[in-house]
Amino acid sequence: MTTQKLELVCPAGTPAALRAAVDSGADAVYLGFRDETNARNFPGLNFNREELADGLRYAHQKGAKVLLAINSFPEAGNPGPWTKAVDDAARLGVDAVILADVGLCDYAARTHPDLRRHLSVQASASNPEAINFYAREFGVRRVVLPRVLTVAEIADLNKSIPVETEVFVFGGLCVMAEGRCALSSYATGKSPNMTGVCSPASHVRYVEEGDRLTSRLGEFTINRFDSSENAGYPTLCKGRFVAAGKTSYLFEDPTSLNVIDMLPDLMAAGVTALKIEGRQRGRAYVAQAVAAFREAVDRAAAGIPVGRVDLTSITEGRRQTAGSYEKAWR
Amino acid sequence: MSNTSHTTPPLTPVLIAGFAMRPLPPALLQPFLGLAMRLLQRRHPGVFERLSSVDAPLFLVDPVDLPLRFVLDPDPAMPRLSALAEDDPPPEGITAIIRGPLLALIDLMEGRIDGDALFFSRQLTIEGDTGAGVALRNAVDGAEIDLVEDVLSALGPARAPARRALGVAGGLLDRFARDMETLRGAVVAPAMQKAETQAAALRRLEEKVAGLDKAQRRQRRASTP
Repeated sequence: MTTQKLELVCPAGTPAALRAAVDSGADAVYLGFRDETNARNFPGLNFNREELADGLRYAHQKGAKVLLAINSFPEAGNPGPWTKAVDDAARLGVDAVILADVGLCDYAARTHPDLRRHLSVQASASNPEAINFYAREFGVRRVVLPRVLTVAEIADLNKSIPVETEVFVFGGLCVMAEGRCALSSYATGKSPNMTGVCSPASHVRYVEEGDRLTSRLGEFTINRFDSSENAGYPTLCKGRFVAAGKTSYLFEDPTSLNVIDMLPDLMAAGVTALKIEGRQRGRAYVAQAVAAFREAVDRAAAGIPVGRVDLTSITEGRRQTAGSYEKAWR
Repeated sequence: MSNTSHTTPPLTPVLIAGFAMRPLPPALLQPFLGLAMRLLQRRHPGVFERLSSVDAPLFLVDPVDLPLRFVLDPDPAMPRLSALAEDDPPPEGITAIIRGPLLALIDLMEGRIDGDALFFSRQLTIEGDTGAGVALRNAVDGAEIDLVEDVLSALGPARAPARRALGVAGGLLDRFARDMETLRGAVVAPAMQKAETQAAALRRLEEKVAGLDKAQRRQRRASTP
């Protein structure tokens, strides 16, 4: 069990968001290049090399780390953009790279052995055998755990692995086997795994039908909101469908993870770092979420009750859940 | 995409100001819009660079509480912003339409509010090419635009008195907005009270039906041999 203060790892989709995260108390900021090498390849988002160099200077001056996500899977026969991203990460001096692909882990370990390697949630490694393999073969130092484990399962896992664990504590949820989900690819031909984007905006259409709002992804109608309902992300996994005559969210409700009041439990479970999801969100979201969790982490470390903090205004569908941490299903 | 925010604008000072502006031709705004684009190009060139992934976009920005709409052509070499009266047809080739209350759009532009949060609460809508709309939102959010500072930067020696004047105007606007909120509350209070009474009656009915269902299931189980 760790007695150290939890490390707060925060998202940045732009240099402005990076500064907002650092100024609001992030211990580390994670980000990606402006291409398909990372799982948030959204239009108008992410960093070019010069912006990353500037961001590194800003973060390091204020004592924060910068982690570079290179967590999509290289296209067969075209590994160049991914290996170049790793090379540039080492050249520019990022504090760690977050990788998912086995081949890229191997490349980074062999070519840049001193570059710290974290295993992305996109690798979907959730058992000791898988994690120990990455640690043993590629010197991975930290694993970002999939959002499918209970706190008790995380505690058990931490006793069986030689590396740090990082867990999601706030933001969008993905309940699929990350890195292996084909829903977006099925609907649009593009996926977070290969092209770095789940349910790409280019394939999303919103249509007004009377006073209802219909969202479509590719050829699929995935939701219809009444005028009084809050909306969610236009992904298939959060679609509302008719099955057996009943309309419901079959996989997942549009809701955000928020376990700000469970930080003492996560500390006791031996977790090293907490991740806030949302590189696609604006700097107002980043500043608000990071400031709330900064205070909560400091309170938890001091043994002061964390309490609930109202972050409803920035949650998906304006709803929150503890997700799998309080899993009531199998 | 569109919703009730399109057809029913919120009761805000902007809506009231919009009624007063209605007789004015949009062309009167053109010198100010031209200046705004020159300032944006000079102080925030990153906006246009971030939009480079979208092929020649043309945006229609529609503040739902103003009788005006704005056409934005973010050509990096010569960006243009022009105003249209609400009845004027938009030009051909609009890539995406972004709709929302003016003050929410300004908050979004200055990074004070998150675009996804506005979307979740149904205050912000995007119609047309969603990818282009998302690119614009991300580009603007990343630019750290500060409208007051950007305008003041163009005023030279008049900067200090203008800053004071803007401070006073901002205070008056805040006060006006609070007064409007009070007025809105007073106007809708009777309707809200009625709606709450009806909702309570509906809840009681639902509970009664659920109780009857349960009793019926129990009765059916008891009569099954």
